[in-house]
Amino acid sequence: MNLVQQLINGVVLGHAYALIAIGWTVLLGVARLVNFGHGQIYMLAAFVTWWATASLGLPYPLAILLAMGAGVLVGLVMQAAMLRLTFAQDLVSIMIVTLGFGHLMRGVAGLVFGGNPQVLETPLSLVDFELAGAWVTGQDLLIVAAGILVFVLLHYGLERGSLGRTARMVAEDPKLAQLAGIDVRRVYFAVFAFEGAAVALAAALVAPRTPILTSIGFEEVIVTFVVVVLGGIGSVAGSYVAGLGLGVFTALFGGFVSPAYATTAAFAVLIVVLVLRPGGLSLGGRAGR
Amino acid sequence: MRGPLRALLAAVAAAALLLLPGWAGGLHGAFAVIAIMAVAAYGLDIVVSDLGEVSLAHTVFFAAGAYATALLSTRLGAGSWATLAAALTAGALLAAALGLVTLRLREFVFSLVTYAATVVAAAVAHNWPLLGGSDGVSAIPTLDLSVGPLRLAAGNDAQLWPYALVLLLLTLYAVRQFRRSRLGAMAMMVHLNPRLATMSGIDVGRVRLLVFVLSSLFSAAAGWLYAYQRAYVGPDLFETYFLVLMLTAVVLVGRRRLLAPLIGTALIVGQERFLSFGGDVNAIILGGALVTALAILPGGLDGTLRRLFARPAPRPTAEREPLPQP
Repeated sequence: MNLVQQLINGVVLGHAYALIAIGWTVLLGVARLVNFGHGQIYMLAAFVTWWATASLGLPYPLAILLAMGAGVLVGLVMQAAMLRLTFAQDLVSIMIVTLGFGHLMRGVAGLVFGGNPQVLETPLSLVDFELAGAWVTGQDLLIVAAGILVFVLLHYGLERGSLGRTARMVAEDPKLAQLAGIDVRRVYFAVFAFEGAAVALAAALVAPRTPILTSIGFEEVIVTFVVVVLGGIGSVAGSYVAGLGLGVFTALFGGFVSPAYATTAAFAVLIVVLVLRPGGLSLGGRAGR
Repeated sequence: MRGPLRALLAAVAAAALLLLPGWAGGLHGAFAVIAIMAVAAYGLDIVVSDLGEVSLAHTVFFAAGAYATALLSTRLGAGSWATLAAALTAGALLAAALGLVTLRLREFVFSLVTYAATVVAAAVAHNWPLLGGSDGVSAIPTLDLSVGPLRLAAGNDAQLWPYALVLLLLTLYAVRQFRRSRLGAMAMMVHLNPRLATMSGIDVGRVRLLVFVLSSLFSAAAGWLYAYQRAYVGPDLFETYFLVLMLTAVVLVGRRRLLAPLIGTALIVGQERFLSFGGDVNAIILGGALVTALAILPGGLDGTLRRLFARPAPRPTAEREPLPQP
């Protein structure tokens, strides 16, 4: 009974993780870019969703769209600032700049939304179901459904469609892509806009599960990294499986060992993976060309 | 400039610095914090500027020093020399462990794992009762470095400032010597041309590990003095503020300049202390400064100023850090 509950929790959590990580997966796989402000976009989008429903009185679906719009905006601003570094493929500087953006966003959120913790209530989070003797909310089902939908769309869009081919060409060789008549700048902007929108969507769906504070977002980056690394860098299907696996692992670990150290355990998984297959991570070799 | 003259000038400058906060109207607290955070930033500076990797775990070494000091002095009544030894040991051990794990990782994967280490350390500090949990450790006694009949104690910020200054000067000297040392030269070679380094018989992994552990000592020593200065140590040490502060201090003025991290720290902490607009706006300023320094002003403030004042001269390409080749 308890095990079933934890497993179901894990599946929900896994879809939440996969959704949170998908922006990064695409960012890294398609454009060879990184974003350490990822967690803070999550935080900002959660606040925008809360503000749209609680203060503006917008219905939840509209609030999600508003949050995604804010995510797109943040992504475009960040990419605009980093365009020179992106063309130089200076990953180290990009990393530090995105950390700076993260800190900046935290200040903006504190200034605009105040320092108090907020709870985002959605109509679906009040609906309970009993499933095989375990309780789930409508919000949980929405997360799972949205997760599956996003991944199916992405899988077909990126790995089959011409859009994905263009983006991958830019990732492999930006200069050659430019010679082939591809507007590389537009691809970089589009990828960062997608990153912002994806993490904002994840925030709008997942944030109702926890209180919203300006300090959240710190751990989301780690979860994201574990998912991206476990799933194989840039693999859409892989990160879905990895997210699901990590979610089940975290739920079981949290339920039966210690909830406080769940992130630590996720980190331990990461270390084990790194030690067992360090070669699987050698993105540097591919990206540096 | 000749050797003795240079040493004399440095001594005069140090003496002036010692008296500066008093002349400026009792700003010892701010000056002590600037010195301490600059020492912490020098640890990161060695890794970023010389080794060419961005470590996001130096707040952990900083916090390890602070926590070791806080726990030993409050629970066991240890003196300041003992806590200094413990702080350095704690920082070096953590750095050695993390360095071994990350030995083969480069660039952003290295940074991500070090960042993950910071997040995990924060979770442990929040949850482990031995470390004081979320409440942290308070009521840390004041600094007392007395040896035998020699009384060396600091009961307040004004008395602490000379010790912070000594720690800063020692750090500056150590970083300068490191850059002139064989290890420093090997680190640069590993940074700029790892293949050539390997062919020259340099053990790349060993150099990386040594430099990483060495760098942790500076940050841990800074944490040691910070615990005495603040008399409280808590999980807030792991917040991105300290991380972003150190990173900004390192990149703001320019890389591989001895005084750059000190000037960077002074600018940031000075703004927070004397021109503060509240925590949120300060966070925007600090984050914005980091973004600006890297995205808009390549080469930092120093490079920009040089370009402004030396316009007719050929482009100062030396300022620009060569891209680390993976």
